[in-house]
Amino acid sequence: MRHPHRFILLTVLLATIIALPASGQQRRWTIGMSQCNLGEPWRVQMNADIKKAADAHPELTVIFKDAQNDNLRQGAHVDEFVRAGVDLIIISPKEAAPLTPPVRAAFKKGIPVIVLDRRVLGNDYTCFIGADNKRIGRAAGAWIAKLLGGKGTIVELKGLMTSTPGQDRNAGFREGIKGSGLQIIFEADMKWLEPNARREMESALARFPAIDLVYAHNDPGAHGAYLAARAAGREKSMKFVGIDALPHEGQMYVKQGLLAASFEYPTGGREAIENALLILAGTAVPREITLRSRVFTKDNLATGGEWLSN
Amino acid sequence: MASASNHPVIRALLSLALVLAVGALFHADGAFFQWDTHRDMLRGVSVFGILACGMTLVIIAGGIDLSVGSILGACAVVFSLLSIHQGLPAAIAIALTLLLGTACGVVSGSVIARFRVQPFIATLAMMVFARGLAKFISGGQKISTAVQIPDGSYSYVEIPPVFDMIGARIAGDNIAVVTLVMLLSMAVCGILLARTTWGRQIFAVGGNEEAARYAGIPVGATKVLAYGLSGLFCAVAGICQAAQELQGDPEAGSTYELSAIAMVVIGGTGLQGGRGSIWLTLLGVLIIGYLEKILSINAVGEEMRLMLTGVIILGAVLLQRNR
Repeated sequence: MRHPHRFILLTVLLATIIALPASGQQRRWTIGMSQCNLGEPWRVQMNADIKKAADAHPELTVIFKDAQNDNLRQGAHVDEFVRAGVDLIIISPKEAAPLTPPVRAAFKKGIPVIVLDRRVLGNDYTCFIGADNKRIGRAAGAWIAKLLGGKGTIVELKGLMTSTPGQDRNAGFREGIKGSGLQIIFEADMKWLEPNARREMESALARFPAIDLVYAHNDPGAHGAYLAARAAGREKSMKFVGIDALPHEGQMYVKQGLLAASFEYPTGGREAIENALLILAGTAVPREITLRSRVFTKDNLATGGEWLSN
Repeated sequence: MASASNHPVIRALLSLALVLAVGALFHADGAFFQWDTHRDMLRGVSVFGILACGMTLVIIAGGIDLSVGSILGACAVVFSLLSIHQGLPAAIAIALTLLLGTACGVVSGSVIARFRVQPFIATLAMMVFARGLAKFISGGQKISTAVQIPDGSYSYVEIPPVFDMIGARIAGDNIAVVTLVMLLSMAVCGILLARTTWGRQIFAVGGNEEAARYAGIPVGATKVLAYGLSGLFCAVAGICQAAQELQGDPEAGSTYELSAIAMVVIGGTGLQGGRGSIWLTLLGVLIIGYLEKILSINAVGEEMRLMLTGVIILGAVLLQRNR
């Protein structure tokens, strides 16, 4: 071979010619997304995040199904995705035990499964993406202790205490304020609901003349507490902190100056699509992805919040 | 058996006195003796009390309305959408919302009267439909002062003054506007039931439908009116709910129908129909309201609250039973 460089050039040219139509060809992937229920704004946001991320990739089609808080229906949705021959399944399961068998069956058939937010049992899935409520609660506790200078009275309005997020946001917070002089003077279960939070806060206001801060397990709870304090003319004498930080909810309350801070509980929608693309391209992804979370205050809202150190 | 203790109003007052006695005993460092506590309790039960007005009419007419919570949600969303996002004048937004609520009730009533569908089933269908409507109109999001602009980000609009007006307190900060709305609703119901022909007809239809028919009472129209008014009160409650939350939540009012029914029944209006009064319902509203308030100011845990509430509801109903 007298002219090796010419041969290389030819090969590259040939390869390019062969590869061109292949890359131009729109490889359409279909992703099935099973949401356990769309009754919560946070889950509506999760679907919106997935849609937004997927819309940036014309080769992706996402089919959304809403199980309306029904384990059996959600299991049936997974089976339907398998039969429809989707290329990948994203599932945010309602409960672990009842949804493990359908997810396992799909995974065993060779369909990659990304599990979002809540878990399934065992190891038969490709990747789990979720945030850590305990860590967020701990960060909130530490942040509040710093804000109040290590002493003060707190009202804690808890999410549903029979649910794991409620338990973790409570336990994490207690760890976060441990060792400080903060004192929880009133706590009540408001079951994630704003009207309940308002009623419980009214009781706290009736009993305690001095409250420094209200820590609510979600932003609607913090907002309900704010409304109660405002009705009593005491909203200026205390601060309000919530969790979730949805753009149109917690972040907006922070922007309006109602909440001192809102801690983000990320939906993982964007990350699910990013990892789905990697999986579909044949790249290995970590089995466990813990989402990082941000704190939004009036000062950092414009710059996209501040990332919490892990 | 005409002894005073057999009168339903006396029995309801007895239950209320018992609950109040518990409150005086467990007063939570004196919180129970502050007027603010009572004022806040009244504010808290107002939306339920307004729903209970319509529920009382329907129950006296021999029916039941499971759709009140969902219609409340749909109306809260529509009212918020019209007044916050569309910027319509308050009067028009209120009128259109009242129209929507009434229409929902009239549909239920017509289905029950015309097609002889059981009230439980017909209003169950409306309950599911209206919740769907609330979610459809709102796109699953709360309708608040955060308005999404086409690029996906949010801008912030001012809350219309009507929200602050309805959510406010008057008379030297001593009573919530929504509480006055509840009392006004009850007065309207009271006059309607006690002083009008239609009121007598509703008792007649609930007491014995066949007899009412033979007596020439327009049974179908009476039922449509009862459910239509129930829908109207749902709309009033929805507007009050939205005004207090400063937003229209498509999930608003979930399970409120159960509280409304409990309030009516604890007051002493029997589910068999043909008997009862709005004043009994007012007592029922106060009994449940005080019960929740006392448990709340004492920061009683959720488990104990549910168990105690169950026991006390049963006790109150047993006390109300005709002997």
